[in-house]
Amino acid sequence: MRDSVIVVDGLIKRFGEVEALAGIGFTVERGSILAVLGHNGAGKTSLVDILSTRARPTVGSASVCGLDVVRSARQVRRRIGVTNQYAALDDAVSPRENLRVLARLLGANPQQARRRAAELIGLFGLDTHADLPARLCSGGLRRRVDLAASLVGTPEVLFLDEPSTGLDPVSRSGLWDTIAGLAAAGTTVVLTTQYLEEADRLADQVIVLGLGHIVLAGEPARLKSALGNQVVSLKLENPFETERLMRRITGFGLPANRQGATMIAVAVTGPADIVGLVRLTDAEGLLLCGFTVTEPTLDDVYRAVHQTAVVPS
Amino acid sequence: MTVFSTQTWPECGFGAQVRILAWRSLRAEFADRRLVFFGLLQPVVLLVLFSQVFQVVGALPGLSGYDGYVNFLVPATLITIALTTAMGSSAGLLAELYGGFTSRLRCMPVSLFAALTARTIADGVRLGAQLIVVVAVSYALLGFRPGGGVAGVAAAVALTVFFGWCLDWVFVALTTMVRKVEALQAVAFVVTFPLMFSSSAYMPIAAMPSWMRILSALNPVTYAVNATRALSSGVASGPAVLAAAGTAFAVAVVGGVCARRAIRR
Repeated sequence: MRDSVIVVDGLIKRFGEVEALAGIGFTVERGSILAVLGHNGAGKTSLVDILSTRARPTVGSASVCGLDVVRSARQVRRRIGVTNQYAALDDAVSPRENLRVLARLLGANPQQARRRAAELIGLFGLDTHADLPARLCSGGLRRRVDLAASLVGTPEVLFLDEPSTGLDPVSRSGLWDTIAGLAAAGTTVVLTTQYLEEADRLADQVIVLGLGHIVLAGEPARLKSALGNQVVSLKLENPFETERLMRRITGFGLPANRQGATMIAVAVTGPADIVGLVRLTDAEGLLLCGFTVTEPTLDDVYRAVHQTAVVPS
Repeated sequence: MTVFSTQTWPECGFGAQVRILAWRSLRAEFADRRLVFFGLLQPVVLLVLFSQVFQVVGALPGLSGYDGYVNFLVPATLITIALTTAMGSSAGLLAELYGGFTSRLRCMPVSLFAALTARTIADGVRLGAQLIVVVAVSYALLGFRPGGGVAGVAAAVALTVFFGWCLDWVFVALTTMVRKVEALQAVAFVVTFPLMFSSSAYMPIAAMPSWMRILSALNPVTYAVNATRALSSGVASGPAVLAAAGTAFAVAVVGGVCARRAIRR
């Protein structure tokens, strides 16, 4: 039998007239990573706030580790760790002191708390900055301390709200390795992100939120099939030929999207498609003034799913 | 990886939470030398200014019993310091409530009311340190020699710390309800100054207009000042001290209930 650690059912969250979550439901298995994708305002943070007991749903229910997030909030809090978009640290004291106080608040005695702080400092490579005031730590370092802080109580479920926003590529890749390691050892991870690459690299399961609705859910492979691996943007010299090329490309079996007078975006699944596109334009005798291959973005997901972008105005 | 060594820590009770968080506040505060220095200087400035500006008041009838205005003034200044310290802590509390650390507490099995209580206790300890410095300065520089001696002054300081802790709850409640620093400053001002000047702190009540005398009789600061004066002059009566402690505690209960309600929003 599958072991669902998070169960969300018919969840609605309203702030006055605004519906942040418009009735969503899903489950997350133990030890897996769920990526919640969406733009600002899509409902990601509202969802995480409800699951981490900081906000109450307007309608519907959610449970974490079999415990209702409203009725058993306190028990849920003993089992979760949360890392927000902004590092939740006490800046006046050192990372070590931050970790030690959190362990104390989670019931550790002074000795256990010191030991746990030292353990996490070693594990996250914080040794050189462990005893400086946290406000002197760089952004990337603060994120590491913050992640360590959310692991003090060995949570069963870890919530990460846009963990890699504002990180440089090296720190980001280090963070990804840490998250993957945590999941491999049995921690269930829910992370929100605006980056497809992040979801693709880490997640076992992806939910794409748009204006409070789930617009797409499934494994990352499903995202790709809806979308292609990459997007080729073709720019024509002559705007009167755009429509003709559009028809040829769709006739070739690739989803094409007209963007302005002379631009066409095509979702491709591999190099063969790219070569095919080049041959196609050549055979038509069309002059290109631009040909770029890019990784798909969240906008492309929305376009692929809805044709029109589901972006808050 | 040791991250996953499951912890079997027991639950941390309310009292332990308060103790840990209060200790944390104090450590952070005393780690900042500027905070310590100006925190201790501020009440001394207040004391020196008041003792010089209001000196002439000592010549008024009704003050003859105190053997000099300074013996009338110092106990009142202790209470004023308690009030301004409580008022001053609200801006810091607001920053803390919206700062990172508190946002983490919100998704931990920790009571936010424990965090507020811890804050009032840390404020109380700081106030105690300030009061001791003020008493020492008034003894050394201003000729503060009240009739109650060391025991009387110590009792007055202890009562003032209790009063300050109680009044702190008013500002904690205001902070959790107002939640905006500019508005909070305005509200704190409107609360603090009438409390201070409609009391018996600086002028004998007999010298006030009659409508203010009514206000003064309703003001917990009046009872606190009367009691600290009586304690430091060595003429304290049980009822006066009880009246001071009782009115202050009533204020604390109201503040605490409001704060507890507001913090959950």
